[in-house]
Amino acid sequence: MKADSVPRINLHEVVVNGHQLQAGRAPLPLQIISNKELTTLNAENVADIAKHFAGVTVKDYGGIGGLRTVSIRGLGALHTGVSYDGIMMSDVQSGQIDLSRFSIENIAEVTLSNGQPNTLLQPARMFSYSSVLSFSTKIAEYDEKHTISGNISAKAGSFGMINPMINICKNISRKWAVSLSVNGLTANGEYKFLSNLNTLGENMVEKNRINTDVHSIRTEINSTCEFNPFEYINLKVSQNYSERGLPGSDTYYLSYATDRLSDRNYLTQVQYQNRKNCYFQYQFSGKFNNSSMIFTEQSPNYSADIDHTHIDNYAQNEYYLTSVFQFYPTHNFTFSTSVDWWYNNLFSHSNLNFRQDAAPTRHSGLANVVAKYTTNQLTLSANLLYTLTRETNQTGAAPNRDKLSPTVCMSYKPFDDKKLRIRAFYKNIFRLPTFNDLYYHDFGYTNLKPEITNQYNAGMTYFETGIPFLSKFECSVDAYYNQVKEKISIVYGMPFSSVRNIGRVDIKGCDVNLKLSKKLNNSTIRLSANYTLQLAQDYSSVSDTYLDIIPYTPIHSGSGSISCQCGIWECGYNYLFSGKRYSGQNSNSQNILKPYLDHSLFGRLSIKKLSLQVEVLNLTNLNYEIVQYYPMPGRNYRITLSYKF
Amino acid sequence: MKTNKILASLFLTALAVPFFTSCDPKGEITQTPTISSGVFVLNEGKYNSNNASLTYYDFATSFASADLFLDKNNRGLGDTGQDMIKYGSNLYIAVYKSSLIEVVNANTGVSIKSIPMKNASNAPSSPRTLTAANGKVYIVLYDGHVTQLDTTSLTLGSTISVGANPDASVISNNKLYVANTGGMATVMDSTISVINLSTFAEEKRIKVNLNPAAIKADSYGDIYVVSNGNYGSVPGKFQRIEAVTNKVTDINLAVKNFEIYGDKAYIYNFTYDANWQATNKTIAVYDVKNEQLVSANIVTSTIDKTPYCIDVDPTTNDIYLGVTDYVNNGKMYCFDNNGTLKFTFTTGINPNKVVFITK
Repeated sequence: MKADSVPRINLHEVVVNGHQLQAGRAPLPLQIISNKELTTLNAENVADIAKHFAGVTVKDYGGIGGLRTVSIRGLGALHTGVSYDGIMMSDVQSGQIDLSRFSIENIAEVTLSNGQPNTLLQPARMFSYSSVLSFSTKIAEYDEKHTISGNISAKAGSFGMINPMINICKNISRKWAVSLSVNGLTANGEYKFLSNLNTLGENMVEKNRINTDVHSIRTEINSTCEFNPFEYINLKVSQNYSERGLPGSDTYYLSYATDRLSDRNYLTQVQYQNRKNCYFQYQFSGKFNNSSMIFTEQSPNYSADIDHTHIDNYAQNEYYLTSVFQFYPTHNFTFSTSVDWWYNNLFSHSNLNFRQDAAPTRHSGLANVVAKYTTNQLTLSANLLYTLTRETNQTGAAPNRDKLSPTVCMSYKPFDDKKLRIRAFYKNIFRLPTFNDLYYHDFGYTNLKPEITNQYNAGMTYFETGIPFLSKFECSVDAYYNQVKEKISIVYGMPFSSVRNIGRVDIKGCDVNLKLSKKLNNSTIRLSANYTLQLAQDYSSVSDTYLDIIPYTPIHSGSGSISCQCGIWECGYNYLFSGKRYSGQNSNSQNILKPYLDHSLFGRLSIKKLSLQVEVLNLTNLNYEIVQYYPMPGRNYRITLSYKF
Repeated sequence: MKTNKILASLFLTALAVPFFTSCDPKGEITQTPTISSGVFVLNEGKYNSNNASLTYYDFATSFASADLFLDKNNRGLGDTGQDMIKYGSNLYIAVYKSSLIEVVNANTGVSIKSIPMKNASNAPSSPRTLTAANGKVYIVLYDGHVTQLDTTSLTLGSTISVGANPDASVISNNKLYVANTGGMATVMDSTISVINLSTFAEEKRIKVNLNPAAIKADSYGDIYVVSNGNYGSVPGKFQRIEAVTNKVTDINLAVKNFEIYGDKAYIYNFTYDANWQATNKTIAVYDVKNEQLVSANIVTSTIDKTPYCIDVDPTTNDIYLGVTDYVNNGKMYCFDNNGTLKFTFTTGINPNKVVFITK
């Protein structure tokens, strides 16, 4: 008998209709915004996209170069993992990744996973956060006739912004493609705003946001080599340089800001994946990251220092290796095991000599085992993550840590004929104190314990593509109860404050998501909306603010989007809203930040290879703030011209 | 029918009552009071939070009015209220981060003038402490200078240089003593600048311990200084600068802050436990005439949170101790001269100075 010449097809990996169906079946709640939808949200960068997910609070400090961090389900930004093309990013000093530097121009997809992403063939580090925000770069489709493709675009807008971008992809052979993208940004960032001198009433004074310019350049090279449909190796090299002014918070009766921040970041990552064998698959990845930062502050109060300037220098490195192995003994069972190791170090130096230089280091290791049982109706999954850390520091290091963290989740389809699924998960995980928490000048405390989270979630999804009238209908509702224990909180004192594990937060909430789309002849109409109801309260045992609402966690929040594409035209409307929230630990009238509703519009014309887009943001010119005393800009505009080749 | 109407109108009145009474979740009075005999408390607020404020406590009604400045002027006091004095019929308030001096009518609480403090390059010079003599208010500026405000014309006069990051100041025998902390310098300072008020020129610098933070004078010409050291290898000290000789001697007492009135210095101190909570809070009394400790602690009542300021009422000799947790509203304790608790009231965030008003 002739040997079978047809290669075995790995049935587990055939994905129909892209990721959308996966989101409906997933035991761990998952929200995806990809491709066409990314361009309909009046978003410039990944942080703007994140604002459109349910359960997310983006702390936006306003302005073009402003910091934006993402907190999910009230747990805090330090519990959110950020993954770029399958590999976790990290900043061991502050624990936060500034998402405003990732422009959506060459992003294919942004995904928010509560708990962890649902796939098993991923590094252990993906299981080590309370939630993961992941995004991936676009891969060019292979085209026989055109081995070079790409796009050039130029964006200009309010605040003196100019943003040229170029993306080129070359297919070196059928199996190998290399792409280069360069993104430059310059803006003076200035805008007028109203400062309210009476927090219990209204007494507005017009001021100018100053020292808010930004100049940056980001370059990235990606190489994808596909040996066959089930085996590839990807390499990424990227660098990012930016220099910007920090306007700081608004101070009554004063207009003076001189803080500057320059940062440089180099990243290299490589990933090899092999799924040729039906029963056994594996992936190896590695990453090296170097970031350096110089912060300067000039003030007459530094009268005894050169140029009246205070300078802080920081540099950190990370070396990371991971391997994961996946087994399919039968078609119902999947097992996977992964091992990760990484090393971080940080150098810090200040020109104020009485602040000591610090050079802490940390080795981190993870080992994870996952088991999953799948049938047509039921999915059950559980994993156990083991973490160990070892640190060093000249003036005393944090103790060694060993921890075990479990997760269990399930998804069940009760009716054969209806696409309704119910799901539930429990996850216990923690975050390590950052190097700032442990070692920062006179403030850090090396005996800090990790901050622990417990998440309990129950929900249901209904994802249907075959309804009359609508092309796509997706709806999900999840109710959750989260706890943050041993919360690392600032303890005030004179002359120095410090940090201790004294806090505890309990969060009860509900996320609702809805997405509809309809295709008609030449056009598509899309509608999406989400709403979050969340009560995040202080449950610390020794506290004056017991049961008060945690700062910056609104009870009501949500967003919505409607867009219509008709032939060469596309237009849309977006809104973001947040109910009132408190800027301080006391839930009282002095700390209230007013609710806001931010509307924006866009219109796009695409003729052959050219496209022109016009956007209006904050349509109603609302004077509001997300973080107290960091005013958001009023009505502003963007225009983008791009050419695709 | 008639009973129903009566019940309905009673019910409606009951509903309306909350609208006609001042309603505040923390039980403070927020209506605008008349200023009579009482105390003003300057609340520093939290740095970078625009919440410096003024509390007025009235002796007759025993009520503390929060945010009196906001009430009377429809605007906040600014960011970081650093010091306040009463001179003549005005209050002078140094607002550090907003970099201005507020001149407020002490009888009405209304601002007469708001004076921005800027250097020659129009950058903020950041006022810290205030003293007054001979019709002038002397303003210590954190950028390393001292300037003067004429209280008749309310205009600024000349400015002189002192050491790095000067803070606390006191006038004694026509001289202004200014503590140079060097708090934002590469190396901290340890000198006291002595300014002759007749010439308004710096005469000399007296060397004391590292990082001098508080400075007061007694009626015998001696100057007392609390220094904080570098919070590590160099400890803080309590020292006396002798009148005339300017000899500096160490006094073996742990002092966080103090006030001198008559022949007594009233000193508060505390220590931090492992969880960074204040403990062992004491008010000691030191005799400045006989130069010896009278009592290590005169207070037996429990003191909440962390002590932040101490002042003495010149009319009654009562001791006022302000406490804070740095984030929420603070509290003011009033003890009589023997240390017995008389009353307390709620203040704003970080109460740091008490000024006494008697009519």
